[in-house]
Amino acid sequence: MILNTIVNDRINEKILSHELDSGLKIFFMPKPGFVKKYAVFTTNYGSIDNEFIPIGEDKPLEVPEGIAHFLEHKLFEEEEANIFDKFSKLGAYVNASTSFNQTSYLFYTTEYFYECLELLVRFVQSPFLTDENVEKEKGIIAQEIKMYEDNPKWRVFFNCLKAMYVNHPIKIDIAGTVDSINTITKELLYKAYNTFYHPSNMVLFIVGDLSFEKIIETVKKAEKKYEKTDLTVERIFKNEPKKINQKIIEEKMFVSTPLFYIGFKDYNLGIEGKEGVKKDIITNMILDLLFTPSSEFFNELYNEGLIDSNFGAYYTGKKTYGHSLIIGQSDEPEKIYEKVIELFGKSPEENLKVEDFERLKKKNLGNFLMGFNSVEFIANNFVDLYFDKFNLLDYLDVLESINFEDLIQRYKEHFTTDNMVLSIVRPT
Amino acid sequence: MEFNNKRIKLGNGIYLNMIHTDKFKSNLLSYYFIRPLNREEVTMNSLVPLVLKRGTKDINTSIEIEKEFESLCGANYSSSVNKRGERHVIRFTVEWANGQYLSDTSLNYRVIDLLRSIIYDPYTENGAFKKEYVEQEKENHKIRIESKINDKRSYAINRCIEEMCKYENFSIYPLGYVEDLGTIDENNLYIQYKKLLDTSQIEIFYVGNFDEDIESYLVNKNKIDRENVVDIKRENIIVSVKQKNLINEKLDVNQGKIVIGYRTGIPFEDKLYNGLLIANDILGGGPNSKLFNNVREKESLAYYVSSTIIKYKSIMLVDAGIEFANYHKTVDIINKQLEELKAGNFTEDDIEISKKAIKTSTESIRDSIFLISEFFLSQILAKDSRNLEGMISDFDKVTREDIIKAASNITIDTIYFMNGEK
Repeated sequence: MILNTIVNDRINEKILSHELDSGLKIFFMPKPGFVKKYAVFTTNYGSIDNEFIPIGEDKPLEVPEGIAHFLEHKLFEEEEANIFDKFSKLGAYVNASTSFNQTSYLFYTTEYFYECLELLVRFVQSPFLTDENVEKEKGIIAQEIKMYEDNPKWRVFFNCLKAMYVNHPIKIDIAGTVDSINTITKELLYKAYNTFYHPSNMVLFIVGDLSFEKIIETVKKAEKKYEKTDLTVERIFKNEPKKINQKIIEEKMFVSTPLFYIGFKDYNLGIEGKEGVKKDIITNMILDLLFTPSSEFFNELYNEGLIDSNFGAYYTGKKTYGHSLIIGQSDEPEKIYEKVIELFGKSPEENLKVEDFERLKKKNLGNFLMGFNSVEFIANNFVDLYFDKFNLLDYLDVLESINFEDLIQRYKEHFTTDNMVLSIVRPT
Repeated sequence: MEFNNKRIKLGNGIYLNMIHTDKFKSNLLSYYFIRPLNREEVTMNSLVPLVLKRGTKDINTSIEIEKEFESLCGANYSSSVNKRGERHVIRFTVEWANGQYLSDTSLNYRVIDLLRSIIYDPYTENGAFKKEYVEQEKENHKIRIESKINDKRSYAINRCIEEMCKYENFSIYPLGYVEDLGTIDENNLYIQYKKLLDTSQIEIFYVGNFDEDIESYLVNKNKIDRENVVDIKRENIIVSVKQKNLINEKLDVNQGKIVIGYRTGIPFEDKLYNGLLIANDILGGGPNSKLFNNVREKESLAYYVSSTIIKYKSIMLVDAGIEFANYHKTVDIINKQLEELKAGNFTEDDIEISKKAIKTSTESIRDSIFLISEFFLSQILAKDSRNLEGMISDFDKVTREDIIKAASNITIDTIYFMNGEK
């Protein structure tokens, strides 16, 4: 058995890995002394993958919005017993989630881990779809969609994406719309499943006080037989122009104070691995320096009563999209928008200070370290970065390789007025 | 495996709880101030942590405080106010990276000093808080209180409690009231702050790695001579419901939200309370519960439906998000499932599943530095001397008869419906 081990002595953590004949890669982080044992089985398939060439076919297929999420719901369906019951009987908590990029199935438990692991692999690898059970799910998901329709924070966020992106499917709501999910069929779900749930498109990550040998043995016993393949799924992304879709987007809802998102669309794309993570950290450091409670800008607006303590900003990006978001609630969102323009009108040297940068690095180091207290943090971040071809344990090396000059460069390139949008949700 | 913990009395109603563990990459220090929940204090109490964060005697502005926390390897400061039964609990917490990974041995002391100075040495002018800070935080707090309508699910739950507990202090909103902000100023708020220090029960928690020096440092720093603390009465538990309440609230929303409040009449001190918790779990605890299966899986009426128990008031709440038109159908199914529970129509498996679910979540407390401190606090507030193992073993002892007996006490009190039907 070939086992790879990546050790990081500084944080005193290690990750073991092994690839099965089916092409499924398993990663394991031992956590001696932890009671919780956590496993997540993830496919590199999310809401943005809504156009692809189905396996065994040669023409691209555009599927209804929300299908990845619909499939996530349906995999819990089984021919005989209810999968929730099986996990519950073992005292485990099972759940799943769909993001823009991935669909994850996870459980945690304090005992009977290997039995649960076997269940996890089996249920994800054995879809049981019927016309009836697909139909039944539509009512449930419609209520999930309506719940989000009443969530102003979600609305103001998605409107911001709609303002930034012209074609990219990131602007599509992860759960789809009530109309789009009503066009989903058993056949379409199987097509999506067969294309994206091949073990070579998936990863299994486990963290806890466990034995890796026993994990591998369990997965081998449970997994469905697949031939290993080097084929990667053909995903089609319509060309996304280097421009925004609309400058300002507004909606009225039942809220108290207007909510706003200011977005900066990233044009520097196509980067993965270490460089991608580096860009991510650099951009987030700029945003932290400018918009956290330790910044001049935050305090100026706060003292003027324009923002409250919920004000903040972050950058997120993948190979095909990326954006910085500045978020808050205020009676005068336009005024904040103007102030942000004014702020970025100044040179980076004027806004960013070396001593603040050094302090922020220290803060990031501490926060990264503290993240390792949480099995969920470890698993979610590892898996997310894995599909971006990056190992979580290398994070500190990248953090330390960043220079002040990197921030200056990125500031000039990314924060301009022509890639900037404003989304507002106002009270009715 | 049990916790290695120690409780040290430092003065009248002030205790230091030291919990030693080396499993985390961080340490945590929390101060809890425990007050009676009442309309006179609630808005002021909620405002105090916001004003304290604005400046200390030595560090006059919040930007400098923030920078200080960042320099301490990104120590995370947070504060909260919430209600536990009819207690108003104000928490100040800092969690910071374990110095041993950063070869910084003085880190622990610097963090302790900073948190203490925020709580005990605020920036003052003429023997009161700074006027400007108080006025700004009042404005902020107003927005915060008003934005409770943004989260429709928790808003609906709050509204149900408000209506159901109209004549009980438990109905008080833990962040306070906009209309009570007007009379607050830098002087009366400072007086209230002093009252918090002088008359509240104070529980201090340190969880993580420490040596004798840290312990004696904390003991010496927090020792205090003071008069007796405010006495908080055990909440009244309403056993019978005289009149059923129906609230239909018209709001501009897309999804209807139903919240049903029940009185169970079983105080948490009663042995039968364990049976109630399991009954609640069978009814609406998880994805194998009666409500999940019947409201969601069989009838596709809702995406979320669940039930919870509010410990100190012995109230059970069931909530679900549905189509407006399905209101009656949903209420009928929920009622029917509760009747099934009372009639004992559940299996041995259902009991086992609930016991295991409760066991897993109870055991998982050990993996979270924050939940460890919250667990100890909750045991102190409930005057419950059991450890985690003791609690789990009590759940294990619950019988089918206990569950039926506990369920038979559940009586509907209030139905709240958030209705957007045009």
